[in-house]
Amino acid sequence: MPKGTGVLSGRIWLFGDNVDTDQIIQGRYLTILDYSEMAGHAFEIPRPEFAGNVKRGDIVVAGENFGGGSSREEAPHVLLELGVGCVVAESFSRLFYRNAFNIGLPALIVPDITNSAKDGMTLEVNLVKGAVSVVETGQILHGQPLPRLMLEILRAGGAVPWYRKKKRKQS
Amino acid sequence: MIKLGKTLAEKLLGTHTETGKASAGEIVDASVDLLMVHEVLGSRILSVLEEMGVEKVWDPERILVVNDHWAPASDTQSAEIHIRNRRFVRQQGITHFCDVDCGICHQVLPEMGLVKPGDLVIGSDSHSTTYGAFNAFSTGLAATDSAIILATGKCWFRVPESIRIETTGRLPEMVMSKDLILKIVSDLGSSGANYRSIEFHGLTIDSMSVASRMTMCNMTVEAGAKCGLMTVNDAVRDWVSIHAPSAQWTPTLPDTDAEYLETIKIDLNSEPLGPIVALPHSPANGRPVSEVEGVRIDQAFIGSCTNGRLEDLEIAARILKGKRVNAGCRMVITPASRDTYLQALRSGYVETFVRAGAVVTNSTCGACVGGHLGVLGPGETCISSTNRNFRGRMGHPDSKVYLASPATVAASAIEGVITDPRRAA
Ligand code: SF4
Repeated sequence: MPKGTGVLSGRIWLFGDNVDTDQIIQGRYLTILDYSEMAGHAFEIPRPEFAGNVKRGDIVVAGENFGGGSSREEAPHVLLELGVGCVVAESFSRLFYRNAFNIGLPALIVPDITNSAKDGMTLEVNLVKGAVSVVETGQILHGQPLPRLMLEILRAGGAVPWYRKKKRKQS
Repeated sequence: MIKLGKTLAEKLLGTHTETGKASAGEIVDASVDLLMVHEVLGSRILSVLEEMGVEKVWDPERILVVNDHWAPASDTQSAEIHIRNRRFVRQQGITHFCDVDCGICHQVLPEMGLVKPGDLVIGSDSHSTTYGAFNAFSTGLAATDSAIILATGKCWFRVPESIRIETTGRLPEMVMSKDLILKIVSDLGSSGANYRSIEFHGLTIDSMSVASRMTMCNMTVEAGAKCGLMTVNDAVRDWVSIHAPSAQWTPTLPDTDAEYLETIKIDLNSEPLGPIVALPHSPANGRPVSEVEGVRIDQAFIGSCTNGRLEDLEIAARILKGKRVNAGCRMVITPASRDTYLQALRSGYVETFVRAGAVVTNSTCGACVGGHLGVLGPGETCISSTNRNFRGRMGHPDSKVYLASPATVAASAIEGVITDPRRAA
């Protein structure tokens, strides 16, 4: 997570409800060992233009139950690989949510976000407060502030550095 | 308010924490009894372990490694993943290893006696909810969490709130536990149990075979659930005494004053259940078979960790005996494990299938994950006994998958269109 403020800003890619893990990255690509090669297939089914056009810092905005289905960590990973700064959704599947933080990709729950965010607009995200604002319309929406543990993992840079830090403290 | 009564999830997780307690909503550190990893080990987990600087796993006897998703390897990449898995197993001295000849992880793990009531079992696969059928807390986690467990034997868990489902009454002829869970998932919706535990109770569940129970717990994740839990019944007692004869265990029951978010009652006597089919592209799209009868199919598939077990093959063999798979479609049957395959051979089911014109494959995930042995082409339609029908799940993004019980799949294979199995009986 961006050190310091916890504020991100980026262009919105808007998705609907129930974007499952196969929409994010299909099962048939899971044997690809290199993430940068795999990332070329991200969102291939719902938005084939995504992988070619997404820019560093862009923000994925989605409706209910984002990332349902498989436990595959490849789903948040291909987004991170492509430079997605944050995923904001009305709700997440438990596995996607957990996996995203584990690899250091912030995920924020904001009810009704798909009614206010439009594809291509700019979203400003305050992770600590759990609030977002749509820059073009000035509309501010309040989501859930991140749970303490998730913030801790994110601040460490993901679960692996978090685990290392914890271990060092113990020994 | 002090809450005293505990749910199954709270009790099963509680026995694995340092304090011996776990309450819904709390985040706890819990010790895992067994970790199952499959190809995710070679493709993702090993590099995380390296990053963590882990040289030795926490306990080589509490890990099961399975090569099952692309078994035997379907291309050079899966071959390389298998090589890495084998090397890791050797280097670490891991006791429990299933190479490409064994079958699907969620079937071989219980067959090897690696789960018993009361356990905490984690798998690097979302359908690790399956072992709830054995009165164990089990759920899926991905690569990073699996790596942390491989290193420490522990992981953090948010203790889930629970939904209680009580089912009474009998499943009619040709209606299977798959139909019941498709109905439940559709009633809850694809995120209706997100972050939650589904606790199954009632005489219907108590009288079910281990296989039928596993089908139900397997699919709880399709409603977003963290786990699907059941209490011990006679079938589970028998199973554990055969597969883990020396295991010590006691059954876990929820307290009578346990707190549930919701209690759902299903009475199959007053409202009889018929075959259910989940329409593309969600397992929560379940409808009575009558609404989709006549839909033309290109492929009928029976297999997977949901419905590739002996009782599934048995009902399919009953329906297919002396019949032919429709010339307009193909049928692929994948027994869930080598043991299942052998029993199906001995029972004559394999011969019945081959004579009917079905392709019987080795035990693997194969077609279920769109990997090999039955991948769908553009515009094709499949009726499948698996658990997921997301767009592109079994192959081309323009293919369609209808989920159903093995009975419905077999009856449909004969007609070449989706068919009510009660008519085939
Ligand atoms: S059979 Fe299908 S659902 Fe089951 S573990 Fe294999 S790929 Fe996953």
